[in-house]
Amino acid sequence: MVKFVLEHILQLFLVVFSVATLTFLLVRFSPGDPATIMLKANDVPASDEAIYAMRSELGLTDSVGGQYIEWLQQVFTGQWGLSFVSQKPVISELFARLPATLELAFAGLGIMLLVTLVLGISTAVYENGVVDKIGRFLSLLGSAIPTFWLGFLCMYIFSVNFGWLPSMGRNDWKNLILPATTLGLGLGTVYARVLRAYMLEMLQQPFVKASRARGISKKRILVFQVLKHALLPIVTMVGTSFAFMMGGSIIVETIFSWPGLGQYVMESINMRDYPVIQGYVVFAGILFVTIHMIVDFIYLIIDPRLRVR
Amino acid sequence: MKKRYTGWTTWLFMAICILALVGCSAKEEEQTGKDGKEETKKTATLAFSWSPSGLDPHSSDSWEVMRTGAAETLVKLSEDLAPAPWLAKSWEQVDATTWLFHLQENVTFHNGKAMDATAVKNSLQRAIENNPGTNDLLKIKSMEAVSETELKIETMEINAALISNLADPGTIIVDVDSLDEKDGYPAFTGAYVIKQFNQDESLIVNRYEDYWGEKAKLDEVTIKFIIDGNTRLMALQSGDVDGATDISVDNIEVLERNNKFNVLTAMSVRTHMVMYNMESPKFKQLAVRKAVDSLIPRQEIVESVMKGQGTAAVGPFSPVLPFGQISETKEEEPIEQLMQQDGWTKNKEGMWEKDGKVFEATFLTFPQRPELTVMAEVIQSKLLDQGMKMNIRQVENIDEILVNEEWDLSMYSMLTAHTGSPDFFLEIFFKSDSSSNMNHFASQAVDAMIDELHQTTDIEKRNELAIQIQEEIGKEVPHSYIVYPNTVFAVNDELKGFEAFSIEYYYNHANVDKE
Repeated sequence: MVKFVLEHILQLFLVVFSVATLTFLLVRFSPGDPATIMLKANDVPASDEAIYAMRSELGLTDSVGGQYIEWLQQVFTGQWGLSFVSQKPVISELFARLPATLELAFAGLGIMLLVTLVLGISTAVYENGVVDKIGRFLSLLGSAIPTFWLGFLCMYIFSVNFGWLPSMGRNDWKNLILPATTLGLGLGTVYARVLRAYMLEMLQQPFVKASRARGISKKRILVFQVLKHALLPIVTMVGTSFAFMMGGSIIVETIFSWPGLGQYVMESINMRDYPVIQGYVVFAGILFVTIHMIVDFIYLIIDPRLRVR
Repeated sequence: MKKRYTGWTTWLFMAICILALVGCSAKEEEQTGKDGKEETKKTATLAFSWSPSGLDPHSSDSWEVMRTGAAETLVKLSEDLAPAPWLAKSWEQVDATTWLFHLQENVTFHNGKAMDATAVKNSLQRAIENNPGTNDLLKIKSMEAVSETELKIETMEINAALISNLADPGTIIVDVDSLDEKDGYPAFTGAYVIKQFNQDESLIVNRYEDYWGEKAKLDEVTIKFIIDGNTRLMALQSGDVDGATDISVDNIEVLERNNKFNVLTAMSVRTHMVMYNMESPKFKQLAVRKAVDSLIPRQEIVESVMKGQGTAAVGPFSPVLPFGQISETKEEEPIEQLMQQDGWTKNKEGMWEKDGKVFEATFLTFPQRPELTVMAEVIQSKLLDQGMKMNIRQVENIDEILVNEEWDLSMYSMLTAHTGSPDFFLEIFFKSDSSSNMNHFASQAVDAMIDELHQTTDIEKRNELAIQIQEEIGKEVPHSYIVYPNTVFAVNDELKGFEAFSIEYYYNHANVDKE
């Protein structure tokens, strides 16, 4: 267990260092000057003198090497610098938006799991039946419909047409329904097919045949024995999807004006707010490694064979 | 089989019931809320397209702060875009570089403190220290609070545009001490006081009861920050907001079909243009620039790309400005003659050719204003018909490319007189020693005229001079001005007084009302 934890901490350190370095380089060499963008934010003219003064104020006239060392120091001391735009600490800017992203990620994950389990199990139980065919059609639709289109479609039907749900914002739980559905529905329908395939594959296993021989019904075997085995790949997919959702879904948050990390990072990219972009990528890196660590840990709990190994 | 079918229909029926219940409860709550509000509070909700990172008026968020209706400047731009008194009730020029401002009496900040000359001085001092752009506009050397209501400002050089530039949102007057308070919001002087700021989400302002001018008609205004244009439209259609700014021209028709909504438009002070690199081998010669300029189908662009929401441009400044009304000069020489003047001849394929090379140029455009790329494509097609090949290159960072790379011509868009003054744009774009003169225009006569404009304070003379400068510049065709786009807002039929305005930072104001 100690080895498991130490290995993952080392992994985390390496990922943070590599991500911090790569992001710093990519951001510095990507086109766009933050000072020019900030001064011309409203499309008004700006003199070169003003742009230079702003660059100097933002610390962009220092050497790239000096900026890099300062950035690494900031990363490992947990400061992450000040946002060019708001002049507030990046870490507090990210944490201020985290609750909204968490809320959406959990709700999206809930809908995704619900769709995956209901559709996955039912299509496996009624293999090649009407339900299976509907499930196949839905998963095709789920993977084919772009998220932004699904979002606007939901908004048009449930907000504009029926007036049942608010179109945007984050006031109460009703505001969460449309963005969470948009986020979870597509993935859920696709994962349902994966779950179905695993469950049907498991049906060929000797322990299933033994259970059938004992007279246990197919439905009972599927739900109480096969599902447990098929959960392993689902846990991996859920872990990866959750990490993505926690990083903030840029498209869903922008469409529904959801004040989370995704929308914030999009604005920061537009404004070339270097400290925020760098801070966000490091934050996402830490998040991915941590979630994968948790997934690995869950594996150990679910699958006794791994514990033996 | 029958049993299975029944099971699924039951689930489906239950799901629909739950959704319907959610919908009904939402409606009911909304009605109850509305009824309650009608009895107690008069409120409205607006959707703005930009989200401020904070409420510091001297940062890059100054325009968003001004749009809330909570903040004011010393000078306001009137409907004809002339400088008018606001927090300064009058001003006088003491000498070439010194101005004396007489401030409004009985003005208080939202925290109750009196707005006196010292407070205004501190606010302006902070503005020029924090924002190099504001420093450039004002060129302030020193300030002195002569009395409680008199502020003397001395500029580093003669700055005739000072009065107009004091309308720039970067000069918002704020109680500087209130910005240091950890809890609470900046104390401004406007008709609304900030009640609640929800980052990336919304801003709620309440009527300021001790306002020095005409009090706000609404008790409360909620401003929602909705960046996506389609979401803004649907928020308006669904009734989540009463008014929305920056409606896409493609959506106007949808709103006009429904008599519940009104589309409001105003000609902006923005100009979409083509910029020629006057050092590029292709466009060094005036004749070629004139030929391309005469081929640009301005009216077609207004009708097709802008869907009629704009005006064909003749100069850098929109005709809503007094110095924007210049006469159109039509090129009388035929294209063939103009091209031949620079040694171009037409080859068998109908393309212009010189020294065995076909006329081919790089045409820059950028994604931040998608309509510019469409305009570039229209121009590209028109020029190809006349034997000139344009290769469109879309770049992310147009300003950097224009300064650091070789280019031939480029699409560009700018608010050319955002404070109602022509000085800043002319200085930055056309002065030969300006490091931001990206297309390398150089004219001693124009330099001298711009210098004269900076020193001319009489408004009529300034307007005349600005027109003369444009005519002088126009002779060299450094730019082709294409269109002055309209500002487009939309409101439901209950919202009154919320209007599109040429200046893009006056949105919410005391006269906005709801029936």
